Amino acid sequence: MAKKKDTTTTSEPETAAAAAPAASATTGTSASKLRLPAEEKYAEELAYLAAADQDVKPFSWRLSPRMIRAFILGSSAQDKLDRTINQKFFGDPSLVERAIVTLASDRGLLLIGDPGTGKSWLAELLAAAICGNSTHVVQGTAGTTEDQIKYSWNVAMVIASGQSRESMIPSPIMTAMVRGEVGRFEELTRCSSDVQDALISILSEKYVAVPELRGDDGVIYAKPGFTMIATANSRDRGVNELSTALKRRFNFVTIPIVTNNKRSEKEIVLFRTRELMARNKIELEIPPTMLDILLQTFAELREAMASASSDEARLESALSTAEQIGVLEDAMLHSNFFGGQTMSAETLARSLIGTLVRRVPEDVAILNKFWHAGEASKSGPKKRAKGEPEEKPAESKGPEWEAFAAGGKKALGSFK
Amino acid sequence: MAKTLDAVVQDPTIARSMAGLREQIEAAAAAFSGDGAHLGALLQAMVDDVARASAEPVEIFPVKHHSPSSALHMLRRLQARPPRVIFMEGCEDLIAAMKGLEHCRFPVALQAFAPEAPEFPSDWTPLNLVAPLTEFSAEYQAIAFCMTHPETELVFVDRSVDHVFQWMPQKGPPPGVEAEESDEGEETGAAGEGEGEGEEGAGAGNTANLHGGAVGLQIGGMEPTFDEFLAVLLKNARVRHYSEWWTLYVEGPTLGADYATYRAVFFLVGSLLRRIGITERDRLEDAQRERYMWARIREGLRSRKIAPQDAIYVCGAIHAVSPIEEFGTLTAKEWTIPPRTKTQWLYGIVPSSYQAIEHQFGLPSGEIAIAQSMWEKGLKALDLRPLKVPSAEAAEKAEKKRAAAPAVKVRPKAVAQAAAPAPSAMSAGAGGGLGEFLTRPPEFVAADDEQLLRWCVDVVRLARKNNYLASTADTIAIYYTAGLLANLRDRPHPSPYDFQDAAITCLEKDRIPGKRSVLRICQILLGGDRLGRVGYESLPPLAQDVYDRLAILGLNLKSGRIERALMDIQGRPELLPASDLLWRLRFLGVAVRPIMGERTLGHKPKQESWDVEIGKQQWSLIQLGYEGLTVEQVLEKRLKVKAFGANARATTALAAAEESILYLKSGRLTRELGLRATELLRDEVGAADAPEIFQRVRALVHYYRTIGLPEWIKGFVSTGYRHYTTLLPGAFADRGTSPRQLAAMMAFIFTQEALAFSMGCERSQLLISIAQAEPEDPAKVALLWAAQWIVGQRSEEALRADFVHLMSNPLLLPAFPEYMGGFLLALEFTPRITRLAVEVLSRAFAALPDEVLVPWLPKLVVTLRPLGGLMQTLVKEAGLAFPRGLAGLPSWEFAWERALPPVAAPTPEAVTSAAKATRAALPELSERERGLLALLKAHPASLDALVQRLGVEALWPSEQVQGAGESAGEGVAAGAAEGAEASAAAVTPIGAILQQYPATLMALVARLSRE
Repeated sequence: MAKKKDTTTTSEPETAAAAAPAASATTGTSASKLRLPAEEKYAEELAYLAAADQDVKPFSWRLSPRMIRAFILGSSAQDKLDRTINQKFFGDPSLVERAIVTLASDRGLLLIGDPGTGKSWLAELLAAAICGNSTHVVQGTAGTTEDQIKYSWNVAMVIASGQSRESMIPSPIMTAMVRGEVGRFEELTRCSSDVQDALISILSEKYVAVPELRGDDGVIYAKPGFTMIATANSRDRGVNELSTALKRRFNFVTIPIVTNNKRSEKEIVLFRTRELMARNKIELEIPPTMLDILLQTFAELREAMASASSDEARLESALSTAEQIGVLEDAMLHSNFFGGQTMSAETLARSLIGTLVRRVPEDVAILNKFWHAGEASKSGPKKRAKGEPEEKPAESKGPEWEAFAAGGKKALGSFK
Repeated sequence: MAKTLDAVVQDPTIARSMAGLREQIEAAAAAFSGDGAHLGALLQAMVDDVARASAEPVEIFPVKHHSPSSALHMLRRLQARPPRVIFMEGCEDLIAAMKGLEHCRFPVALQAFAPEAPEFPSDWTPLNLVAPLTEFSAEYQAIAFCMTHPETELVFVDRSVDHVFQWMPQKGPPPGVEAEESDEGEETGAAGEGEGEGEEGAGAGNTANLHGGAVGLQIGGMEPTFDEFLAVLLKNARVRHYSEWWTLYVEGPTLGADYATYRAVFFLVGSLLRRIGITERDRLEDAQRERYMWARIREGLRSRKIAPQDAIYVCGAIHAVSPIEEFGTLTAKEWTIPPRTKTQWLYGIVPSSYQAIEHQFGLPSGEIAIAQSMWEKGLKALDLRPLKVPSAEAAEKAEKKRAAAPAVKVRPKAVAQAAAPAPSAMSAGAGGGLGEFLTRPPEFVAADDEQLLRWCVDVVRLARKNNYLASTADTIAIYYTAGLLANLRDRPHPSPYDFQDAAITCLEKDRIPGKRSVLRICQILLGGDRLGRVGYESLPPLAQDVYDRLAILGLNLKSGRIERALMDIQGRPELLPASDLLWRLRFLGVAVRPIMGERTLGHKPKQESWDVEIGKQQWSLIQLGYEGLTVEQVLEKRLKVKAFGANARATTALAAAEESILYLKSGRLTRELGLRATELLRDEVGAADAPEIFQRVRALVHYYRTIGLPEWIKGFVSTGYRHYTTLLPGAFADRGTSPRQLAAMMAFIFTQEALAFSMGCERSQLLISIAQAEPEDPAKVALLWAAQWIVGQRSEEALRADFVHLMSNPLLLPAFPEYMGGFLLALEFTPRITRLAVEVLSRAFAALPDEVLVPWLPKLVVTLRPLGGLMQTLVKEAGLAFPRGLAGLPSWEFAWERALPPVAAPTPEAVTSAAKATRAALPELSERERGLLALLKAHPASLDALVQRLGVEALWPSEQVQGAGESAGEGVAAGAAEGAEASAAAVTPIGAILQQYPATLMALVARLSRE
């Protein structure tokens, strides 16, 4: 049932492969697909893990929970694997463990977190590792209808040959049920409560009744292995509250913003940007000072936003790790195509401002205040003791910081 | 390996297994690392450490703090063969604190306290150190054993409390503060799952801060401090924190192991941490402590003439494997103990709690509760009865019981327990040495599964109670999930941590502030927080005294809850002393809170209600006990420190005096403090504290008026009068003195003037001072005007004219708000200016241009706000000035405009010119007057205006009108216009009246001519 994408080319440039570790051998290609789903990107790793797996697998899973853990969090000595598996999701290990375990039980998994915390990425990895297919996705929007969750009809076929299994168009979730795979529901809380509740019967009875069809065709059962991963944005809380019945059928796992661990954040940013660069075939070295500047600025911004008294004084952006990646990517693309192949501090500052300013008068004002206050504190004696990278002495921030500050001011000036 | 050891301690199997282990380790080292050198060397060294510690003739008993496994083994070891002496890691002088232990409910902490310590950095004092004790710790078992078996002596051998502080880095921040900060770091570090801290409702009672800023010590502390090591350890063991690792990999497995294995395992882990787990700084400090301990042990053995085999040395596993040369009783190397400082230490017991211990030592929350549940499980599984410190209460109860039921029924279970505890304990893992232990999978006590099931049921029940939507389906899900998690984390059986994770996964849907998080519910389930209590008998005399004196309120002071005391003092005057005591306690920072009732000067209490939390926060009371014998004594001491301290100021001394009146009612002390305040005031150079001093003095004088003024307050007032009068010219000129402070000084002077005069002060001093004042600041100028007015050096008219002048001069106009601000400050000492203030303000609102007025308005509000009560008079006055209703508006005019017609010309010049004009009508004219007359004739506009205002017809000779309006000043013109309007509106009723009654006009003329 695992539809292996037949690969046509393997003429991936070596350079890109080197830049993206462990993502080199691909079943699909980046020539035909802009973004490869996780199961294709890591097909080789998954195959290896499946071969090495000795443990009991629940339902029809392709990997045992322990191997899934190794796949997502990277291998450790305890897994006794003879090759290293890189970490793909950076965060609290116990959180991932809880997610895997939930899927092995008969409840659905609901990942909650601020935008950009990696919910969808974790969901994709989990689906890829469990059933080798992470593409059964329904995107929840305000306009999502029950048809999109269950099934709809091919009207032409219904007119021609009446209602039958053939004339039915199953939703991605129903497809997942029929195949015994993982169905994903993105942004569950964006769609209205009554639509959400269509999931209740899917999650508890594990079948969908199709009253239009008679006989045995009238009920579509889920095969063993079917489960749901939904994601919800914690900023949307209260828009469409989940019904109690649905809550009961999901286990909630909250993904926090990685704020207190700069090292792991650095790893995430580097990892993801390299990946993106490889996709765009860009060769550009990210200077370590630039990365430090970015991380430091984000850390300070978060601190400032946390201490802000009202929503008025806060940026609309959640300042998540994903935003940092966005900033870095933007700066990279800009310097690659319009700059001299090196990333300058000004470019970084401009990208940062450009990414973070969403509401024109408010966000500019907030950033303006932060920018100048930040300047004052940087030249002052304030020293950030915790998590300060050693190579950057706090008292003299160096010319990059100055260039960064100047670039930011210029970018802010352009909004007026 | 030569073994000459006691058979009980040294199983011969250990030697055999050790040799086997050695070979195995060598092979492993060779296999894993390329050359086998580093890893091999480390492993070898660790095995050597174990051998060395095992070979020591004094039986070393390695422990870890709050480790149930250690406690169980200690219990069994001591019951198997009591030693003659137990040497224990722990500050040697803390043994003095153990006296009252039998009256306490655990957990409690031994405390050492030094209120004064001149030899330590001054911001460290008071020095405070606590060493918490829980019932399931090895040290508690040892202490309990020694208390019930007097033939065994307990000796603490670690460095004294004094050395603890001596060996701290002297330059750093105060030690307690440092600990707290690092704890906070820990908490934010674990914020991922630990958000429950903030959510905890007040009802649940957060006792985390129980130890305050004390330095914490624990017996057998062994935490890895080397971060990289810790990170590797945690990652490979798939645990979140060190405690979890310990519980899973050391604690659990050794719980059921035999004694020899237990020792070997603890030695091994200690050695691992010692060699690679801690930082260099800690290693050095540990070595120092070990030298100290071994020196004391050798000394102790010699002085008691005890063979090393009859002693047990209880210490943290990390110290048991020390590599120092002074290690052991057989060493030749001696070490001299450095002397203590002269600091006086006081010892006592304070209550502690699980949360407080966790907070103090940065343990993850819930840690101690888990340890407790393991301890209970272990006791049950091994069928042991824990040692307890003989409790006085329990003994009494037992006595009564025996008296009631003389026929003691022998329970079969008890007999069985008595008969076969030792064999079952020893056979639990007999024959298994270290080698076997390391190679065999850990065994779990059979009851585990049942326990997990019970937890699952209970957590759902508790969650339901806390408004979670939880059902039996969740119980099943939690049980199943816990099993899956354990499997995922390579554990044969779910640990309490796995259970917690499973419960959170299955139950927690939303975070609702104010609701207990599931994590917290799990912790409550596993034992929750437990608060210790120090029994009445063990309390310091001060605390006992407080308990006795509060007995009249009928509160349960032992309760861990907040007790509400309701006092009808009017109905039951005998409650008054208790009320007094509560106020004193509150002042001293003991946990009592008034809900209703106040204590201010001269206030007679009628009814009060209090929240008393003494039972819960006993430590605050006990801490006071170190400072004195009674609350009153401590209070007096504190007040004296406040007033006589090196940086005391007049205001603090005065505040102390006031507090002594409020809380102590001791005339002697108040007088002493008051005299000190006077003395301090005399030496004060600035006026920075003037506002506060003024407020206090005013209140005090007011209070004493009713009961007779004591000498000291009279002295203070007269000193203050003289002092502030002297300072006045300087304060006017000095930029550093704010107008508010200046106003406060003058307020002091003017309001207390009468009292000061009675003490022999003279006004002339003030007059001279005022004459010398030369302020530049507009606000101060206005203050000076006000002062001059009060002393009669300036008339109201002049004052008004000054302000009008300010408004009329475009150059001065922007400064007007400042003048006004200063003038309003004068309200504080003279209500007389209220009317003028209202008038000037009204004029200002009418006349000031928007660019001056609008920015000033907020400032005006800020100026007026602190005036408080004075605002009322201001508002009242304003109410009089403005019409009450709409009907009154057409015919309304300002009171001052009605009352003061002659001063129509608004500038000083105009006033004089008017005067001159009137005088011109008189026949005899001097030289100057004639000149003026000529001038007036040349510019008759002002006179015209005046005349028009008065409503009389102009009687100018025709030639005098010629220059009208030519060069009249702006202000004059404005005044004229105003006058014209007024007369137009009212059709000159004034004129009519004046014509009818010319006497007034004549009087006015006379008055003007007099000036």
